[in-house]
Amino acid sequence: MTAKKPTRTNKGMSRRKFMGTTATAVAAGSFVGGFPSIGHGAETLRTIGLGVSIINEIQGKASQDLGISVRGQALGYGAMFGKMLNQNDQYEIAEGYFNDMDVFIPAKVWQPIDTQRIKDWDKVTDLAKTGKLTPESNAGQGDAPFRHLWLDADGNRVDGPSRYISMLPGWHNADSLGYNPEETGRDIESWAELFSDDFKGQVALLNVPQIGTMDAALAIEAMGAYTFKDKGNMTREEIDFLIKFLIDRKKEGHFRAFWETFGQSVNLMVSGEVALQSMWSPAVTAVKAEGVPCIYAFPKEGMRGWHGGLAISAKVTGSQLDAAYEYLNWWLDGWAGAFVARQGYYMSVPENVKKHLEPEEWDYWYMGKPAAKELPDPFDTIIVEKGEVRDGGSYWDRFSNIAVWNSLMDENDYLVKRWTEFLSA
Amino acid sequence: MQQIAETHHTGLIGSQPVPPQAIDEAKKLRREPGFPTAWLITLPTAWLILFLVLPLLGIIVFSFWSASGFGMEPALTLENYRAYFESEGFFDPEGDRFLTPSVFLRTLGSTLYFTLVVMVLCLIVGYPIAYFLAMQVQSFKWQMALFLLAMVPFWTSYLIRAVAWLPMLGRRGLLNTFLINIGVIDKPTSLLLYSEFGYTMALVQLYVVLCVGPIFFSLAKIDKAILEAARDMGATSFQIFREIIGPLSLPGVAIGMIFIFVMIMGEFATAVVVYGGKTTTTGTVILNYYAIANYPFAAVNALMLMLAMMIGVVVILRVVNIRKEL
Repeated sequence: MTAKKPTRTNKGMSRRKFMGTTATAVAAGSFVGGFPSIGHGAETLRTIGLGVSIINEIQGKASQDLGISVRGQALGYGAMFGKMLNQNDQYEIAEGYFNDMDVFIPAKVWQPIDTQRIKDWDKVTDLAKTGKLTPESNAGQGDAPFRHLWLDADGNRVDGPSRYISMLPGWHNADSLGYNPEETGRDIESWAELFSDDFKGQVALLNVPQIGTMDAALAIEAMGAYTFKDKGNMTREEIDFLIKFLIDRKKEGHFRAFWETFGQSVNLMVSGEVALQSMWSPAVTAVKAEGVPCIYAFPKEGMRGWHGGLAISAKVTGSQLDAAYEYLNWWLDGWAGAFVARQGYYMSVPENVKKHLEPEEWDYWYMGKPAAKELPDPFDTIIVEKGEVRDGGSYWDRFSNIAVWNSLMDENDYLVKRWTEFLSA
Repeated sequence: MQQIAETHHTGLIGSQPVPPQAIDEAKKLRREPGFPTAWLITLPTAWLILFLVLPLLGIIVFSFWSASGFGMEPALTLENYRAYFESEGFFDPEGDRFLTPSVFLRTLGSTLYFTLVVMVLCLIVGYPIAYFLAMQVQSFKWQMALFLLAMVPFWTSYLIRAVAWLPMLGRRGLLNTFLINIGVIDKPTSLLLYSEFGYTMALVQLYVVLCVGPIFFSLAKIDKAILEAARDMGATSFQIFREIIGPLSLPGVAIGMIFIFVMIMGEFATAVVVYGGKTTTTGTVILNYYAIANYPFAAVNALMLMLAMMIGVVVILRVVNIRKEL
């Protein structure tokens, strides 16, 4: 395990890392796209998104398989959001996220996707369709995909299921707390531990207002201190309560730091500065790679999920639209799902992904079993040692108990303002 | 040129003084064929207009646009400025926010406060370094060698210099280990890193070179003969410093302070890396609003920061009249 590896994995970490990171990250996030020149004067598709799904290898392989030229452009979160919304003539495919749908559906910059043209639509799991991956699953609060999925032919929201959808569900993951068992001295099984006095001065939180507040809200609820009506869409009063709670803790010296990038969260844990913090699962792997014990908590209250997918610009018609559907169908076919699986992400069509993974890979990444052999990342660097077990259990364990999904709250501006106050306090 | 030659005829004793009229004409003539200045500044001017003036105007215009929640729409509204200055409960004597300015103003205030503290510390640390280099080191070769040595930190990337503080100040860092080994403390202290102390120290280390340079140069320019003369007249070392060295080095101090002031007012990365994001600077506020695509509000913050910087620079220049001193 070299130090380089986590960085590599980092590329695809969580899309949210692109929000509120430093300018360096913003700059680095720009223009990763590849421009494969395959295809014989046929259609060209321009697709934009974050570095999670826009990776040269993926769009290159799609170009090769489909005989069309797929050009990807990876952007920082803010730039991606702005371009998707304001320039839908500058792309054909938007690789977006369900928590932004409150903006994109009413804006009608994307066209409804006809599920009858999606070959494997019936193989897409119920996670995105009903919110219940398994019949006894808990759908979770916030911007869960199924709440933003179903449309009518004109692009208006309807109660699903219906023939048309806003975005084809794709890659997703669930985040929670990471901890060093030697420092905590006990297993962490609840979000409430984030504010336990035992770890005073050894706790870090993610410095992205939309997500940091949600992790804090999960912890506050788990402590029984307050109940939020909807953690995915807090009212001003709820935000006020939350921020006051956080400010009090900050003044007591509860927080060691607030991290913004994947690398920072790894450093905090590796250098022994924190014992417990909100964390992304691939970061836990990176910490362990440095020889520091680190466990990814599987809190009984559930994890915080996020879900990406593929949308088609409203401007796309004719043969280009056919090409767009081909690209969407290609994503569901499994190769791309297997590619992102090796970076720790899940895909909406597990059974197709399985066909493109070796049995040992499938057991490790999806089933949560110990690795039967060394496993590589998508770029053929070995990142999993034999016998290692992925934290958080199997895919079905992890996603049958999502407490809340990443969300865009109605009071987003107010939230950011109050978060600024919290950090200034 | 022809005409100048004609008026410049030789007389009996040397040349005649040139009539004032001819001088004016000569100036005009000289300007005519001369392409230099106008052409020389064309490229820089175009560059500045394209990449400084226009974006700046853009920022000003955008600050009056309205945020749509995910971008901006053309408008002419003061809403963003209201949101910047508004502080709920400011006039409510009962409330806990009585007479508390808005969080954005307070952030600007704390940014300014930190900047001033660091400026003072940089001066305290930087001046003696520059003084030593310019006054105590006699050989020019050594002066330059040591000066370059002082610049070494600048040869590495800014971020690396900031990150390097982590293994130094951290819980398991060098300083903590040292303090434990010599028995000053019995368990690691967290006060060094992710604290105001660590933050200030890092800023001083990161920026002190910016004032060492200008101060060194203005000290080195001082004619040693003046100092000798003063000593001959019986001035004490303190008097020499107060009357000669101090005043003559002021321009260097002012330029150094302006550098530091402008750089730290715009700081945001160090607060993230060394202070663990536990404070906000106006720079981070701008970044946060950029991240949620509220460009108009980010623009207001940027303008207020710029305004504060301009005021600061003007104040420094008021204290030291650089033009006159140079």
